[in-house]
Amino acid sequence: MPWQVTDHTADMALRIEASTEAALFEEAARALTSLFVDDPATIEPREEFGFELRAADRDDLLFDWLQTLVVAFELRHMLLRCFRVTLEAGGLHASAQGERFDPARHRLAHEVKAITYHGLAIRASHDGWRAEVIVDV
Amino acid sequence: MQRSELHRRLERIDDVSWRIPRAARDDMRVDGVVYADDALIAALGDDPALDQVANVATLPGIQGASLAMPDIHWGYGFCIGGVAATDPAEGGVVSPGGVGYDINCGVRLLRTDLDEHDLDGRLERLIEALLAHVPTGVGRSGPYHFERRELLALMREGVPFLRRRGLADDDDVAHCESGGCIEDARPELVSGLALERGADQCGTVGSGNHFVEVLVVDRVADAAVAAAFGLAQGQVCVLIHSGSRGLGYQVCDDALRALRGVPARYGIDLPDRQLACAPVDSEEGQHYLGAMRAAANYAFCNRQLIAQQVREVFERVFARPWQRLGLELVYDVAHNIAKLEPHQVDGVEKLLCVHRKGATRAFPAGHAEVPAAYRAVGQPVMVPGDMGRASWVLVGAPAAMARSFGTTCHGAGRALSRKAALKAAKGRDVRSELAARGVIARASSRRGLDEEQPDAYKDVDLVVDVVHRAGLSTRVARLRPLGVIKG
Repeated sequence: MPWQVTDHTADMALRIEASTEAALFEEAARALTSLFVDDPATIEPREEFGFELRAADRDDLLFDWLQTLVVAFELRHMLLRCFRVTLEAGGLHASAQGERFDPARHRLAHEVKAITYHGLAIRASHDGWRAEVIVDV
Repeated sequence: MQRSELHRRLERIDDVSWRIPRAARDDMRVDGVVYADDALIAALGDDPALDQVANVATLPGIQGASLAMPDIHWGYGFCIGGVAATDPAEGGVVSPGGVGYDINCGVRLLRTDLDEHDLDGRLERLIEALLAHVPTGVGRSGPYHFERRELLALMREGVPFLRRRGLADDDDVAHCESGGCIEDARPELVSGLALERGADQCGTVGSGNHFVEVLVVDRVADAAVAAAFGLAQGQVCVLIHSGSRGLGYQVCDDALRALRGVPARYGIDLPDRQLACAPVDSEEGQHYLGAMRAAANYAFCNRQLIAQQVREVFERVFARPWQRLGLELVYDVAHNIAKLEPHQVDGVEKLLCVHRKGATRAFPAGHAEVPAAYRAVGQPVMVPGDMGRASWVLVGAPAAMARSFGTTCHGAGRALSRKAALKAAKGRDVRSELAARGVIARASSRRGLDEEQPDAYKDVDLVVDVVHRAGLSTRVARLRPLGVIKG
């Protein structure tokens, strides 16, 4: 699996791997969604949403991207999948498809409070890109 | 994550405290001190929490030592159970990483005039009614909605704002840390997004380790102090654990973004970005403190509104007004906060910025910050354990002022990660197991109970034993859980 939830004593740690940096951002979004709902496959792609973010570096951009998804869920109750991310100098464009939380079909897993900077770093590996993100739940 | 090598550098100070010597790393400005006995240190193993204690010891202006309470475990930025005091006059910093996302997460204890037998035949109904009436769990909003203008007033005034609305009484104000209002809050610095996240969440429990629990006093350790707190053997109490909800999380997030690049501007080199900080006396530091205090006041109000809903449920189940059930506030205390407090350092009084991240203020008898009703005995401290074993009421002790800037532990501390707890719960029914132990547990999700099962936590009795022996706070009463609602 290109991502996994690993052990962290109090919170949740996500370990993400991908062949490209843009794919790393997409996988990170999928990993985060798995903390919102027990089964992300229950999310239906009923609406499409667009995102544009700017940040000073890629670590900040990953932090902002994931935090944007946390807020979209908490405030708009949006559950998303089918992430497409395009990275460019100083920012990203992204799209995602999804729908509003429906208690009849979605079983919520965690209340994600925030994304943390603790240990957050995007690293090039021999076969692609890796990142580790600790999520406060 | 890199596992800590620092456990090999630990030096024993006495039976209940250990030193990470400043020499263990080039960048530490002071020692680290961990309060724990041999068993708790052994249980910590190579947990990265010790690295976090050392990381905090690098912060500019830190005084004494970077401290950890016996419920220490791996957090982000500070460890859980971490305490650090910085001196603004020496370039001391304030760090949102020393408070955490859940600003003023804390606990409040309500007493009642009921004893355990009064719940015979009614406990299950009471717990079910609490679950139905008090919003818990992911994405739940509450019955209280505040317009922007009201929310700003609530964050400026804290619980006294609710008193004006008839949602709190004089004791609810007096029996809160800081009277339910931290002064110099600047709600105008709280972002629109934070206000939006907080608009309909005041009066909701949330999920994770937050809860409302019904307990009984099963052992009184200090009869005189227990009597001063209005507690006695066999008495039913209610413990509430929650914080500043989405509003506080967003205030922390906004601060971390605002602080990007700031440490470098002040020449501060940090071992962990989550420790982003600014000098207390800088514009950036004051900005964070103003917004953080506003979120802290929101959290006091959140717990007050949860308590009001608990009172409504008790009124319905026992068909009496809550005042006639004696459902009064014993105390409400923060365990994620940064506050300016006077402390003695090497015989000199200094105004310090004390960070408590998963650590509880524990001021002794006679301290001016202790409510008048308790000043002769000391400040009440509530230490939630787990939902199967026990929680404790302690009282602040004089040694805490010298040893830990007036601070003690905040809970049992996790022993298992959430993932490990889920694995351990596989094939079991935690709810039935708790029922067999006499605890009615209800949660909005099964996962919530599995992750929070008793075995996921250290034994709170052992943690309390350390702080008692270290003189950080002393035992007053042990409370046994009867029923709990969780997210």
